[in-house]
Amino acid sequence: MRPRALALSLAGAATVLIGSVEVGQAIAQPLQQASSATTTEQSTSSSTSTSSASSPSTPSASSTPSSSATKTASAGVSGTFTGTTEETRYGPMQVEIVVSNGRITDVKALQLTNQDPRSVQISESAAPILREEALSAQSAKIDSVSGATYTSEGYISSLQSAIDKAGLKR
Amino acid sequence: MAAPTAGLMVPKTQPVRPASSAPSWHSLDQEQRTARHRRRMRSADLLVAIAWTSVAAAIGLYFVSGGWATSRHDLSGIVTAGGILAGLAATDLLLVMLVLVARVPLIDRTFGHDKALAAHRRIGKPALYLLLAHAALLTVGYGLSSDTNPVRETWDLLTANTDMFLAYVALGLLIAVVVTSLVAVRRRLQYEVWHVVHLLSYAGVLVAVPHELSAGSVLATGTPERLFWIALYVLAFGSVLVHRFVVPLLTSAEHALRVERIEWVAEDVFSIHLRGQRLDRFGARGGQFAVFRFWTGRTWWHAHPISFSAAPSRTSLRLTVRVLGDGTERLTRLPRGTFVSVEGPYGVFSDRTRTAPYLTAITAGIGITPIRALLEDSALRPGEATVLLRAGDANQRYLWDEVTEIVGRSGGTTLTMTGHRPRGIRTWMSAKAVEHQVTIQRALPHLLESDVYICGPQTWSDLVAADCRAAGVPAHRIHLERFDS
Repeated sequence: MRPRALALSLAGAATVLIGSVEVGQAIAQPLQQASSATTTEQSTSSSTSTSSASSPSTPSASSTPSSSATKTASAGVSGTFTGTTEETRYGPMQVEIVVSNGRITDVKALQLTNQDPRSVQISESAAPILREEALSAQSAKIDSVSGATYTSEGYISSLQSAIDKAGLKR
Repeated sequence: MAAPTAGLMVPKTQPVRPASSAPSWHSLDQEQRTARHRRRMRSADLLVAIAWTSVAAAIGLYFVSGGWATSRHDLSGIVTAGGILAGLAATDLLLVMLVLVARVPLIDRTFGHDKALAAHRRIGKPALYLLLAHAALLTVGYGLSSDTNPVRETWDLLTANTDMFLAYVALGLLIAVVVTSLVAVRRRLQYEVWHVVHLLSYAGVLVAVPHELSAGSVLATGTPERLFWIALYVLAFGSVLVHRFVVPLLTSAEHALRVERIEWVAEDVFSIHLRGQRLDRFGARGGQFAVFRFWTGRTWWHAHPISFSAAPSRTSLRLTVRVLGDGTERLTRLPRGTFVSVEGPYGVFSDRTRTAPYLTAITAGIGITPIRALLEDSALRPGEATVLLRAGDANQRYLWDEVTEIVGRSGGTTLTMTGHRPRGIRTWMSAKAVEHQVTIQRALPHLLESDVYICGPQTWSDLVAADCRAAGVPAHRIHLERFDS
């Protein structure tokens, strides 16, 4: 390479690289502040839900705002129960279960790990599998999906807390 | 001038070279040449810098997007980021490679067709290594984050969705393209086989796009990356489309070249005379070449890069070809009126790239053709040109009479050297010349003030060029163009 071409290339490449890293950092700072803020918020909410999960038989209205349980005499509970928000490495994870006569009839993912397109792809492919497993097992004692460990763990934890809230003894 | 030695003949008919080189010419011509050369070198350096800066930009935009800021916290994130960066750099290099073979006039006029191709080849292997690193690092990185072993992770990625499957197809195609282009492999392959495999690289680059959109986030709406990558893809595929398809189509239609006649020059050498329209607008300079396709049932699928063997006129072109294989053999029977499509003209082997007050040309065998056209197309002062014609034996003296006449008319000197090279010595000269201790500087007295144009078989040409460099001719005054593709 000619010396001038080399010098120009190095100068151009260095300018662009240093500039990008600077810009990247400037953008990342507010992002990190925001994400640390949400983390603390969620850790408090999960601590409250853990406390509510410790007394599973009496779902308190305050910790489960969206659950509407009705108890019938013969069969078990019916209603919709929202699990806790589980913070995973790839974003928050939260599920909701629909219970009819003590049976889980549906599991809906309210929040899926979505930090980047790759996580979205993983969680979207894992969620249906986890749902099927949960419906057939009627519990949160299900296998995690390989390649989606974090998603699975978050899913299972959130599912367990929802089951606890519904008061299903499993 | 020293008396020519026995290995080197000066034909009797040569006019005597004017003794002085008093430079009445050393004015406008020379200034123009210097200015043109400076401009050319400036754009060359700029283009090189733009290419490397684009690689830096591809990497830099990942930092701008915040990809690094979110992934640098643990090992799997760092490995994944490395994989993404390798993929970005590789994609940028692949697109640069496409631009280099697109025969963009700016690149051709600046570097020459052969130098652009050489750069394309040099980038090929590093680009493939980056692609392999991209696949390997991401597999390991994803595997680390989900506790899967690389083999399992590869299977998971391969079967994840169509986009990822296509990405593996792209990787396979590009590996095939690079492997078939390795010197050792390519030598064993027929040109056509290599060419078809090489065309797959377009497909390779294209089928990789879906996974860049879905699994990668490079084209997320409203980001600077999106703008950058769209611009780059449009530039790369656009230049290929325009300069390898649209422009040749228009050129071929405009000039409507047809075979007029075939003329035998020697036992295995023949000229193809072509007739066409408005060839003054074709813009070919003597010494350049074009890629021709002769539209008969037996020849249309073979594109021939051929130098003009005479300066083009408004209505005619002449090509002179040596029969080297089946492809060229078939051309000897082209019927009159055969339609000829053309891509070009290409190359910087012309008087447009001169910088020196004298012109020296050294040719061997069929390599004489571009020199013949170059000399005819140059306005030469008396004594400006010295031409050394080299032949292994008397049968290879094609077009020597024509060149001698052109050089003689301009008051230049033609030297000839016939005879095979000596065994066991790496030289471009005849055994006789070596025996008489002819050196390039003694044979060609104006060598150091010359633009030296060399054309002949590749290894022979390289030896001549090495001799010139050793004698002290600056690199930019050694003009040597490769015609293999």
